[in-house]
Amino acid sequence: MCTPGLMAPRGAILFPFSGSGGLQMLLRVLWVSLLLGFGLATSIARADSFEQGLEQLKSKDFSHIEQGIAAIASSGNANTELVLNLLLNGELYRLKKTDELVVVQGKQDKKLIIVNLFDDSGASAQTVSKRKIKKVRINNNIRASLKAALASLKLSAAEPEQRRQAVNQLIGKLTPELYQTLSQRLDVESDSSVQELIAVALAVTDLNSADSDSAVQQTAVATLSDSLQPAARNALAQFVETTDNAILKSQASKGLRSIDEKRKWAGHAETLFFGLSLGSVLVLAAIGLAITFGVMGVINMAHGELIMLGAYTTYVVQLLMPDNIALSILVSIPAAFLVSAFVGILIERGVIRFLYGRPLETLLATFGISLILQQAVRSIFSPLNRSVATPEFMSGVIEINPVLSLTLNRLYIIAFCLIVFALLFMLLRYTRLGIEVRAVAQNRAMARAMGVRSEWVDAMTFGLGSGIAGVAGVALSQLTNVGPNLGQAYIIDSFMVVVFGGVGNLWGTLVAGLSLGVANKIMEPWAGAVLAKILVLVFIILFIQKRPRGLFPQKGRSAEG
Amino acid sequence: MTTHPQMYEGIFNKSTIRFLTVLIVVALAVPLLNALDSSNPLHVSTYTMTLMGKYLCYALLAVAVDLVWGYLGILSLGHAAFFALGGYAMGMYLMRQIGDRGVYGDPLLPDFMVFLNWQELPWFWYGFDQFWFAALMIVLVPGLLAFVFGWLAFRSRVTGVYLSIITQALTYALLLAFFRNEMGFGGNNGLTDFKDILGFDLQSDATRMALYVASAIALGLGYIACRMIVTSRLGRVAVAIRDAEARTRFIGYKVENVKLFIFVVSAVLAGVAGALYVPQVGIINPSEFSPLNSIELVVWVALGGRATLYGAVVGAVAVNYAKTYLTAAMPEIWLFSLGAMFVLVTLFLPKGVMGILQRERPDNDDSDGNNLDNGNDLDNCGVKA
Amino acid sequence: MRLIEEFQHRDKVFDFMMPNTSPALDVGQGYLLYLEDISVSFDGFKAINKLNLYINEGELRCIIGPNGAGKTTMMDIITGKTRPDEGSAWFGQKINLLEMSEPEIAQAGIGRKFQKPTVFEQQTVFANLELAMTGPKGVFTTLMAKLSSSQLDHIDHVLGQIGLKQQRNLLAGALSHGQKQWLEIGMLLMQNPKLLLVDEPVAGMTHQEMDRTGELLTSLAGEHTVILVEHDMDFVRSLANQVTVLHQGSVLAEGTMDQVQSDDKVVQVYLGE
Repeated sequence: MCTPGLMAPRGAILFPFSGSGGLQMLLRVLWVSLLLGFGLATSIARADSFEQGLEQLKSKDFSHIEQGIAAIASSGNANTELVLNLLLNGELYRLKKTDELVVVQGKQDKKLIIVNLFDDSGASAQTVSKRKIKKVRINNNIRASLKAALASLKLSAAEPEQRRQAVNQLIGKLTPELYQTLSQRLDVESDSSVQELIAVALAVTDLNSADSDSAVQQTAVATLSDSLQPAARNALAQFVETTDNAILKSQASKGLRSIDEKRKWAGHAETLFFGLSLGSVLVLAAIGLAITFGVMGVINMAHGELIMLGAYTTYVVQLLMPDNIALSILVSIPAAFLVSAFVGILIERGVIRFLYGRPLETLLATFGISLILQQAVRSIFSPLNRSVATPEFMSGVIEINPVLSLTLNRLYIIAFCLIVFALLFMLLRYTRLGIEVRAVAQNRAMARAMGVRSEWVDAMTFGLGSGIAGVAGVALSQLTNVGPNLGQAYIIDSFMVVVFGGVGNLWGTLVAGLSLGVANKIMEPWAGAVLAKILVLVFIILFIQKRPRGLFPQKGRSAEG
Repeated sequence: MTTHPQMYEGIFNKSTIRFLTVLIVVALAVPLLNALDSSNPLHVSTYTMTLMGKYLCYALLAVAVDLVWGYLGILSLGHAAFFALGGYAMGMYLMRQIGDRGVYGDPLLPDFMVFLNWQELPWFWYGFDQFWFAALMIVLVPGLLAFVFGWLAFRSRVTGVYLSIITQALTYALLLAFFRNEMGFGGNNGLTDFKDILGFDLQSDATRMALYVASAIALGLGYIACRMIVTSRLGRVAVAIRDAEARTRFIGYKVENVKLFIFVVSAVLAGVAGALYVPQVGIINPSEFSPLNSIELVVWVALGGRATLYGAVVGAVAVNYAKTYLTAAMPEIWLFSLGAMFVLVTLFLPKGVMGILQRERPDNDDSDGNNLDNGNDLDNCGVKA
Repeated sequence: MRLIEEFQHRDKVFDFMMPNTSPALDVGQGYLLYLEDISVSFDGFKAINKLNLYINEGELRCIIGPNGAGKTTMMDIITGKTRPDEGSAWFGQKINLLEMSEPEIAQAGIGRKFQKPTVFEQQTVFANLELAMTGPKGVFTTLMAKLSSSQLDHIDHVLGQIGLKQQRNLLAGALSHGQKQWLEIGMLLMQNPKLLLVDEPVAGMTHQEMDRTGELLTSLAGEHTVILVEHDMDFVRSLANQVTVLHQGSVLAEGTMDQVQSDDKVVQVYLGE
């Protein structure tokens, strides 16, 4: 699917004067009348070919039927598409008694209700037994020509996507007439990707037709070499295999190589994109931890469960407003933040504050909390996974070129991650809370002496970290199913990201998360998802041994201690 | 002061003798009671005996964790990995023992390999048809993993929570790896359907009894080995490392080596525990690697009381008894109570149940000796027992 | 091939064959410790800046200086805790301190007492001394170690020296602050190092305790070389003849206490402009 956002620049290329509304209007009118004129002329000339074609369909001979289809397809009649579709789907019948074409409308007892073709009113409805009618038979040949005929009809469809599909079906199957139609179509086509596809379709035909001279073939090879359409590559590859012309062969294989090169880069770009989106998820999951662990030095093993709570909040909000999915996601973000932050503050006030300075005990206690939260969710929502709907605006893809398309939800996750990161960064850097948080992290006693309410700061910091975990849960709910084990899957990864990036360093977390995501996706094709994950884990284990303070260690005397 | 008073506790102090006595009684009594006629009210069913054998394996595992956590201060969240590796080594031997009695009747390949259409035995399965080889691997594989991991980690001075987390990552990585069919360890089904061990039928009461007694012996020997370590000067160095690592370096001890030695010993004990566990439960699968298992066994030790060894045993048996009971009676409650246990023990019982019991006996109170004058009449307050 | 030839030199002593513990110190030049051109910076802050320090064998040298002068960092460098960015540090003529780890340096004969008393609080006074005792400290020797009666006597002797005979079986954590300081000095005595680094030993002590500590330290000098970092001027005056003043990571002045105290630069640093 193509988004309006990307359509605009394409339109601008085709209509260079799109800035002035009047001129654009004029061009549009010209274009439409051209189309109409073309259609009108043919339909008058072949007014009766439609009727003739229908007659021929009643024959038992496949060759007659084929002629009939050709006649109908070229008739320009408004009902052409209907008839061809009925044929293709095997829904067109012949009533044996009257030799009329009929369609089945429904069933009554063991008999069928049929109506005459083109009878919308249903006046001709009658009930007959199955044996009284006969399906108009088609074979594979006919099916192919039906598809081609339908495709050429769709060429003038309003939606560019439909036109694209139509051309795609025609590639390699062009009859001389269709070739004609397509090359005329090329001149008036407004959508550049459809244009490219038509050019490819024509070039494929040029390349393979016996009566093309080598100059035409050369142009065709050049056209195909520039295209990233899979069909273009296939045609070139086939041509290289079969041709005897040495010059053309070397040209074609050169083109093939350049296509492969481009496809390779597109593949790299796609891997990078997937990696960044996975990395964004990791960053989102880890960044809350970077605060509680990095800034406060608290190991919160229940962090994963705070993410899970965020995801469940999304689920609940969606249950409450089932009619407006898009809005529910937007509502979920603050809701999840509040729910997780609230639970986080409860954990901090209830347990963690008694354990400051005893990191290993904190680890154990928060692990216990994570078990309780998991079981609580299991008891309330059942152990089964719940799925959260994705809003309209997040589904779909952006097609950069035929071999590279980016899914919108991943794009949103990346953007969301960066926004959350930026907000958090600014919060810690420029607000009173941020300054106090950093003060307490660096020297608790001193901060207290300066009048910072360190207890309050602890609770707020922990709430902030937990709240962000909840927000990460909203994002995760858009990617996976929501279940009680959701958090567990992310806790180790999150810790790895924080430790890899360097504790107490938000930038480190960002870089570490993104690079681990990309590394994971790069390794996946040749190692498989599980092995890639293992390799990343092993890599981090080795890395921490080499640089215990992570990618971006905090320097200074305090760090030496 | 002409004669030197006894400076340190020996290996067989009061608590050790008490523990070993109880262990011997239990090790002998249960098989005897099992041999009674089933109509006798004192009869212990084979099921119960096997269950207790399982607890003994857990207890040995807990002792291994206490050795590194209690005395050395390393909170390993990956000890289940060593346990499972020992278990897999035993499982591989038991798989090879099945021979052609498997479902597919292949004389060489275990069923799951036939199922995966493998043509030949992977190289790492060679030798496991011999018990001595398997026994060697039970010790060697966990020991070697602990050695390599510890060598890397301790040398680069990864300590505290960092170490805990990477041990957890280690067992997580192994969990993922063992889930893969390609690894050749039966994928997520693991190894099961064992038939016999050393030629004895695994289902027979006599074999079960022998396994139970073997577990008790292993626990006893493992316990004594740990006591030997913690009562030696090395044990005091370990406690010194636990309490002030940098200081220990400055008086000339290579902290890395001490840690490595004790970590490897602990891993081997865990491996042995796993190896005895597998024939009794009849299956080993990757879920044994799950980080939850590792962290759960830490709470056994925490509940019983750290740096006591017998506290670890008490904790392991108590928690597992509760688990067996609760997961059968009220499965919903189990995770709640386990979670609550984590929280409550860390908040209110930093020394564990044994710590409380100890505090109630004044003659053993060495924890808060801020009375400067009674230095002379304390004779057994060396390494904290 | 070269490798094999190298191995054929009978007289060659390979590094790995060299004993790791207490090598014979070569103090031929009279200096026990050389620090030359040592610099180290944390995050752009130069904690130590081109520091040169030479310590004679048997000397008791006091290092004084305002806060942040780099005294503790200097000790960290000598004991291997911090690696300098540049410069060289030699113990005697043969031992390059910059290539050794903390335990290796300790085994080579440098002992350290920290600013904050760090003893093993969960162990008895006796065990603290036993752990510090000089001798092989490998894993297996430690595992199998038995106290000989001469070692026992040595520990008891040191217990007498530091006045903690009564507390020998008490947990070190139960000692008073001053007693902990003495215990730490006692641990240094057990270690029997060539060079002793003592960081503010009398901080937080009563006058009587201070006197006792002074006696202990003086009795150490001669047999051991001592570097003392201290703030208390009276205490320093009562002990040392040679004083080094550190300021902003390098040596500001050196000499007797009187010389140093009359030095204009020193007065400026301590009293301000």
